[in-house]
Amino acid sequence: MFFGLVRNELQKTWRSRWIVFAVMAGIFVLIAGGLYIYYVVSKDRWSPPPPVAWQTTVREDIANNQQQLDFLEQAKQQPNGDVTGPSKGFGTDSDLDSIIAQVQQQINDDQYLLDHNIAPVQSFSITLAALFGLGGIVMFLLLRIFGWLASEQIAGERSDRTIAILLSRPMSRNQLLLAKAVASFLISLAVVVVTFLIIYAIWAFVQGSIGPLTGDVGVAVDGSKPLRGSNLFAMPIWLFVLMCLGGAMLGVLCVQGMSLVVSAVFGRWAAIGITMAFLFGAPLVSTVVGAILFAISQDPNRAHFLNYLFVNVLAPVSALTPVFGNGPAGPSGTGMNEFGFQASVLAVWTVGFFVAAWLLFRRKQETG
Amino acid sequence: MAALVEVEGLSKRFGRVRAVNQISFSVAEGEVFGFLGPNGAGKTTTIRILLGLLHADGGAARIGGQDCWTAHSRAARLFGATLEQPALYGFLSGRENLRLFARTLGPVDEKQITELLGTVGMTERANDKVKRYSMGMRQRLALAQAMLGRPRLLILDEPTNGLDPNGIHGLRILLRKLATDEGLTIFFSSHLLSEVEELCDRVVVLHRGEVKAAGPLSELMNFRGYKYRIDVSDVDRAIEVVRSVDGAKVEPGTIKDSITVTSDQNVARLINHALVAAGIGVDQLVHEQRGLEDVYIELTGVSAGSPLSAPAGAAPPPAPVGVGS
Repeated sequence: MFFGLVRNELQKTWRSRWIVFAVMAGIFVLIAGGLYIYYVVSKDRWSPPPPVAWQTTVREDIANNQQQLDFLEQAKQQPNGDVTGPSKGFGTDSDLDSIIAQVQQQINDDQYLLDHNIAPVQSFSITLAALFGLGGIVMFLLLRIFGWLASEQIAGERSDRTIAILLSRPMSRNQLLLAKAVASFLISLAVVVVTFLIIYAIWAFVQGSIGPLTGDVGVAVDGSKPLRGSNLFAMPIWLFVLMCLGGAMLGVLCVQGMSLVVSAVFGRWAAIGITMAFLFGAPLVSTVVGAILFAISQDPNRAHFLNYLFVNVLAPVSALTPVFGNGPAGPSGTGMNEFGFQASVLAVWTVGFFVAAWLLFRRKQETG
Repeated sequence: MAALVEVEGLSKRFGRVRAVNQISFSVAEGEVFGFLGPNGAGKTTTIRILLGLLHADGGAARIGGQDCWTAHSRAARLFGATLEQPALYGFLSGRENLRLFARTLGPVDEKQITELLGTVGMTERANDKVKRYSMGMRQRLALAQAMLGRPRLLILDEPTNGLDPNGIHGLRILLRKLATDEGLTIFFSSHLLSEVEELCDRVVVLHRGEVKAAGPLSELMNFRGYKYRIDVSDVDRAIEVVRSVDGAKVEPGTIKDSITVTSDQNVARLINHALVAAGIGVDQLVHEQRGLEDVYIELTGVSAGSPLSAPAGAAPPPAPVGVGS
């Protein structure tokens, strides 16, 4: 019977809110079309470029760094007083030594990746799609839509008075709540997977290759330090994608749990209003507070706690993103450690929300 | 016959408002039971407690021996219900609505759904979206929904709302048929006293959260005594003679050459004997059956006009009357 209940919830969501999914599909088509037009205009070409293997890119990096190293070594030979020489702007000898050491370390790190056949995480279309599709702005917006839909799950039935007849049927409230949660999750999983595939297709087009789907990628254990042998967590590409998907879906679950708490208590419009206010308000507040704290202290870590306080549901995946950093936390602290910690915090919030929704709904008096 | 619905000392408060106060009644298996009371009497609160939507503050509500709150799933297997406003999914068709509710019982029985649509006369519109249905059609579909899974008990809260006279007549026939042919127990809450009078075997009258009367309809109609209209040849002498009969009270007659007599007991034979013995001609002695509406107004102090509601500043209702249930 439980699968019947889940099917009921899927049918109700689809039949009553199909327009939302149609609009989302339309937006995806527009985004993809817009990106393609931008690509054609900016690159002046109708087709993607030939694919470039990640090894080639890393070797080019090594060659560039080697050139820079040679240049720095040369500068080091110049007398300090020669202001027209290549050492101009490098400061003292110790500064120059430090830069040389850094560049040398970079060459060694890149060579380590080549030797062990471990690609940097941003090397493939599919990993880029996982990072930016499951941890970026698209996911930010999708989470709000999922929050909205979940907030209507019980509250909408209450407003339409169908909750009374539904609860009078021979099933427990726990079964109904679970069926609603499972249906919400399945719908969001389908949307997220489709979104991911679309973004993957776009990246594949831009990169000129769907890229390899096997092989290993390396993620920094401590994201504030360079990726190297001692700070590297290697995993298969598919596992990395699954990890990002898991992180994103944990964020979805967290949002849905929070929405169900609101939905268990209020009517439709109050539930939607409160959910949206929280989902848009929390990042806004955390961004403003984070900016103020950063302006005062000049230390991005000062605002890090906001990730936990305001339930930054994108945090786990964005924690892995080496380019955008991690919301209020700034660029520091990204990597596997941060992913694990952020995911744990999010899991605690998620469990808390679902327990609260369960406690509220099981004793809720349906008077209207 | 064993009680299918048992309500014992049921109480429910909403803040300071006492919606239901220590009410008790039972509904026997196979009975057509009327549940009466003006708006705010506590009918819907009681029904919601029976349906497992509300948790009682005190007392017990059981269906088939199962507590309606703690063993809701088991109790709900025994009944189907419709609510005052038929709650259905407007974006689905009638047939899809029935399928959806059928899934809450287990595998969908398409044959039964088709049969039920025929029973309530909705076969032709079964595939139209419910949002295009009239109120009467929604009521009929809600009734079909309640009958899914062949329950032993139908709990119907104002099922005649929105039905035209033909629809009400059809519903009455259908419910009677279900009760007699299939032995279904029907818990019928309605503001249409004539419907309750025609349909129900037994009634409970609720007012301000308390049971004012409960019992078989025939007893309830007479529980305040008997009423006779007697057409006589000499009214003045007849009044004197009847006053001598123990327990008989004489009221002015509403028709010329008639008197009205009320009594707590059946004294028709005694009155007739006394009048004849006194040489007074008795043209006819009619036992006037009191309508449910009369009883209802007496019990609640509320006019039974539609809609049923207590007028603002209405006089307090009479004191509760103990009637065997």
